Amino acid sequence: MIREISFIKAVREAFQEEMRRDQNVIVIGEDVRAGIFATTSGLVNEFGKKRVLNTPICESTFIGVGVGAAMANLRPIVQIMFSDFLYMAMEMVANQAGQWHYLSDGKLKVPMVIEAPSGARGGAGYGHSQSIEASFMYPPGLKVVVPSNPYDAKGLFKSAVRDDNPVLFFEHRHLLTMKGKVPEEEYLIPLGKAKVYREGSDCTVVAVGRMVHEANDAAYILSKDGINIEIIDPRTLVPLDEETIFQSLKKTCHLVIVEEGRKRSGFGAELGALAAEKWFEYLDAPIKRVAAPSLPIPYSPKLEKAIIPDSHSIAEAIRKTLIGE
Amino acid sequence: MTISNEILITLFRKMVMVRHLEKRLEGLIFEARVPCSGHFGLGQEAVGVGVASALAASDYIFGTHRGFAEYIGKGLTAKEILCEYYGKATSLSRGRLGQHLLKIEIGIMPLPSSLGSEFGMAVGTALSSALLGTKQVTLNLFGEGTASQPDFYASLEMAALWKVPLIFACNNNQYVELDSHSNISTSLDVALRAQPFGIPFEIVDGNDISLVWEATSRAVEKARNGEGPTLLEFKTYRRSTHYTGDPGGYQDSKEIAEWSKKDPIDRCRAKLYKQGALNEEQEKKIIEEVDSEIEEAIQFAEDSPYPASDTAFTGLYA
Repeated sequence: MIREISFIKAVREAFQEEMRRDQNVIVIGEDVRAGIFATTSGLVNEFGKKRVLNTPICESTFIGVGVGAAMANLRPIVQIMFSDFLYMAMEMVANQAGQWHYLSDGKLKVPMVIEAPSGARGGAGYGHSQSIEASFMYPPGLKVVVPSNPYDAKGLFKSAVRDDNPVLFFEHRHLLTMKGKVPEEEYLIPLGKAKVYREGSDCTVVAVGRMVHEANDAAYILSKDGINIEIIDPRTLVPLDEETIFQSLKKTCHLVIVEEGRKRSGFGAELGALAAEKWFEYLDAPIKRVAAPSLPIPYSPKLEKAIIPDSHSIAEAIRKTLIGE
Repeated sequence: MTISNEILITLFRKMVMVRHLEKRLEGLIFEARVPCSGHFGLGQEAVGVGVASALAASDYIFGTHRGFAEYIGKGLTAKEILCEYYGKATSLSRGRLGQHLLKIEIGIMPLPSSLGSEFGMAVGTALSSALLGTKQVTLNLFGEGTASQPDFYASLEMAALWKVPLIFACNNNQYVELDSHSNISTSLDVALRAQPFGIPFEIVDGNDISLVWEATSRAVEKARNGEGPTLLEFKTYRRSTHYTGDPGGYQDSKEIAEWSKKDPIDRCRAKLYKQGALNEEQEKKIIEEVDSEIEEAIQFAEDSPYPASDTAFTGLYA
């Protein structure tokens, strides 16, 4: 049975199913019992206060609690209220969570999920609006998931909980109320498998998270001029499904990379470099990146909109790529 | 809970091992046979050996970077330590860890380079034991300098809130790297910082290994019985400099001489002699055994191969 449910409900179902399946899955974070963005609302009623733990406001320490608990046979899901606050816990994520499996020569495992609402939604200001997922591609040992719709969110979240490594799960706050088709039957989506969101022949557009929808709007705009783009949703930035991107690029010979995060040292910088290294002979034009500038995100909705990519800036970049500009 | 002479003599032996191994390793570092620098704890051996020896093998310990005492106390051998320091293929981590000694099989948990990053992790392992009902306790040993990290306070808060089986053990050796603790803090009794969270605390003479072991054993029993965390502060003194490249000079020579008189190994020896549990012949035998174990371990580490370069590229993900 397929129903239409919201992104929030899809993720909440993933929590419920995984917590029912495995007693060792626990939830840690600020206000997870009430559930500030509602993905964890109601879990405490079913699973009790021992498995749904409200913490004091200290991100570095409670992410550390998750790391320690994961090393000692639990599978914690740690929620950080806004992904921006992950920088407060960067030490635990970058220096600890991802490194001890390797350092211990495999004797320690850190099976934890960090659920991190992110992205600009109009008027939340500089410290509640960023898309910082690319920051977590650099430290070793982490996996980075950025779903674009309810169906993927549920399937990817369940895989993240079952993964034996630390997984960061970025959910764009603009997508939380989005509805989509989600089957009632259980399913999993593997980490590291991209989705061809829209098939096309003229240009490969790799779009991250919410930008998949802006790219889709751009596809509509461009289709009026007979331009037919292919949209790839990587779904996980680490591990990255290079093969799916490569197969698309072989067909289109043009690459545009779109993300809401910042351009400098962003996901596009990495994928662009990778494409230039490995697939140069397939590129008929320079790679283009569409992303935010290296600025704080300003408060006024008009200013915020000015710095975040949208369908028009994406369409423009694609047009330029196609004429080799 | 009074310590028996049988246990005390094992602790004496471990303290001798710590001191002799540190001394010997210092020479190897100066000869550049070992690539890293060393952080040694001359005069504070009773704290680490005492707290770690009061734990069961299955209990978790997070130790310090000056931690031979607690790692040997928990059961790590000279051979295991030296193979890590040499970075050889025969080390437990196959050359990945160096000074960051770890042996999960006997509960020795990660030693982060960033001091205090273990505060949250220790609450996490204790939380896990409580939820899974395993009866394991976690002991987190840290220095008084590390107690300035903000995670210390939030970990006290969460440990008290969730009543987890965790012992906060502060090794207060009065020096924070190259400066006296009194020059960088006005809160010199770290134990008092437990008070606002309602965590019971105790200040203990850290140079009397019997008292260290007994205080820890009491806290362990409480934690195992579900009575929650305790903060123990052990007052001691570091006669080593901060690390092997540190020429020192910031510690008053009179102060060092005063604390030398309170040396924990001398005090333990005197107690054992007084009670007739140790004599000169037995002591000589212990020292000979310890020294030959160290020499064998050095030989083994020296003779061991380095790990193959290609092993560096494997095993990042589980």
